[in-house]
Amino acid sequence: MANLSPFDIQARPNRLLMQAFSCLIFIVCIGFYMQTSISRHRENPEDRIVPSGHQLLAGIRSAVLEPAEEDDYIPADNASTWERVHHSMIWKDTVSSGRRFFISLFLLIPAVILALHIGLFPWFGAGFLRFVLFFDKIVALSLLPILFIVFGIDEWSKIALVVIGVAPTMILDVTQMVKAVPQEQIVKAFTLDANNFDVAYRVVFRQILPQVINSLRLNLKPMMLFLFAGEMIAASDGLAYRIAIMRRHMGMDIILPYVLWVAFLLFLIDFSLRVINRRLHPWFQA
Amino acid sequence: MVSGLSTLEMTPPLNAARETKSLDTMTTAPVRTATAIHIDDVSVSFPTGRKGCRTVLENISLDIEEGEFVVLLGETGCGKSTLLRLILGQDRPTSGRISVAGSLVQRVDARSSYVPQKYSLFPDRTVLENLAMGPETSKYHILGRLLPSFRAFRRQVREEALRQLSHMGLQASDAAKYPHQLSGGMQQRVAIAQALMMKSRVLLMDEAFSALDPATRSNLQRLLRTVWGETKPTVVFVTHNTAEALILGTRVIVLARQSREDHCGSRVALDMKLPASGMSLRNNGQQFLDLVEHVERFSRGDHHAPSADLDAANGPYESPNAFPSNGETL
Ligand SMILES: Nc1ncnc2c1ncn2[C@@H]1O[C@H](COP(=O)(O)OP(=O)(O)OP(=O)(O)O)[C@@H](O)[C@H]1O
Ligand SMILES: [Mg+2]
Repeated sequence: MANLSPFDIQARPNRLLMQAFSCLIFIVCIGFYMQTSISRHRENPEDRIVPSGHQLLAGIRSAVLEPAEEDDYIPADNASTWERVHHSMIWKDTVSSGRRFFISLFLLIPAVILALHIGLFPWFGAGFLRFVLFFDKIVALSLLPILFIVFGIDEWSKIALVVIGVAPTMILDVTQMVKAVPQEQIVKAFTLDANNFDVAYRVVFRQILPQVINSLRLNLKPMMLFLFAGEMIAASDGLAYRIAIMRRHMGMDIILPYVLWVAFLLFLIDFSLRVINRRLHPWFQA
Repeated sequence: MVSGLSTLEMTPPLNAARETKSLDTMTTAPVRTATAIHIDDVSVSFPTGRKGCRTVLENISLDIEEGEFVVLLGETGCGKSTLLRLILGQDRPTSGRISVAGSLVQRVDARSSYVPQKYSLFPDRTVLENLAMGPETSKYHILGRLLPSFRAFRRQVREEALRQLSHMGLQASDAAKYPHQLSGGMQQRVAIAQALMMKSRVLLMDEAFSALDPATRSNLQRLLRTVWGETKPTVVFVTHNTAEALILGTRVIVLARQSREDHCGSRVALDMKLPASGMSLRNNGQQFLDLVEHVERFSRGDHHAPSADLDAANGPYESPNAFPSNGETL
């Protein structure tokens, strides 16, 4: 019999047991939720704070199949499920949040390139590094009013918030990676008659790219955080906007599925970045 | 490059250097090929703390001829790597100047090839890509790779790379491996091959074999000697290991400091030619061992007082001057 003591570092529990054990907390949480929900519904059948399974299902159904309140789209009676999903509330919110997210992601590419130059070219380092260090300390959210004034309260202020929030950290991180590339590699490349851009893009950038992607994976969460902050404060659609609206009339049956949906989306992006990283860079370990 | 012109006042070299100097001029008197590396009264010092300054190299002047295999020896911290970085162009001398292949060294370029001890290969490229990297980039820079003629050229380079690979004793099946999949010895083989692909006339190696086990090391030493014999590039090889120096080199240069003080940098303590055919313990026996001891005494810096008792035990003491005279066969 395997050692079952939880405080034994050298314990070797078998695989099945480990798998089962890793599900335990999930099950406990779900059980606790159901318990709370059932007891609250016994007192008040209309309770909306901790919706029951039925209420949740109804909420999911309306989010996935029915248009948002503010939309005046009315599905035809014979509309297919696909068409309903396509015009549904969650679809609309996901698309508008996703668009902001991916535009910001795209705008981080120049930031990474700039970081590469800062780390590698002394003049770029002299010109930008101090400023980025300073700018990194500014709390991005405190800039929000300025952003609203500069970009207006529509799309671009939110995208700017995400980029301004994440880019300085990312730049500093990538600069560190560039500096960590052994000097030997750069010298070697020059002795192989590489020019400056060969060294920057075909030696250093190629080497740090997997690390950059990993850094991006860590930064997904802050990005989402800034996006949600922006959306909750000023937006007319988007996942966070919906969550903020629903809070006003205690629409937990919508909020909970939304929260899980966002988590799932983030997980998916993270996972695909990881897979891409492994496929693209078989030489990269750890 | 500012103070580089005040080179006329040559400080007298250490005793040993003077000792061999006459022989040196004697052997170089016949018509020889051009100077590959010219080091002219070079000093290097690094600032330490507020006002202090630590001199690492002091008034080094050396002429290394085309086709010489120079081994730089010396104790740890005596500035061997610093000197190599100067020749490479990675560092600038505080004073004095260095020229390689006839022109002044200002920055790292393709005049010299380089094999460092670590990080010698690009980890993100397979062995074949590593080998092909040099010729490819030197002909087609980053945007040139988009040209249609690049593909044909690349095919050609890869064929040559495969030839070079088998020449260095690696299998064709290794070509698709990444550096982390190779053993240390194989990595250094590939690194030498990569440097040779550039066909540059100067090859600089900084403790290239130090991280290897003795068997692999002697394999690679033999390989390097063979490769050097084929095209006779100028090699500057930095090592800690005196035996390695004697096996590989045609000329041994020992750097040593005269005292521990900061203002006192390393100078050339010994500059000695070796037979071009190379030495080995097997062929030269006791002579080899004596020479090892002789060289090590110089690198420790206590060459003023030869330990008589040890020498007596080792039989008749071979003066190093015997070797430079052999070196005339060069
Ligand atoms: N950038 C630097 N700043 C200050 N001091 C330096 C710097 N680079 C080297 N030194 C000093 O120069 C001296 C020589 O260093 P170097 O690396 O050339 O020695 P080495 O002979 O190659 O030693 P080893 O055999 O251990 O490699 C050392 O004492 C080191 O402290
Ligand atoms: Mg060194």
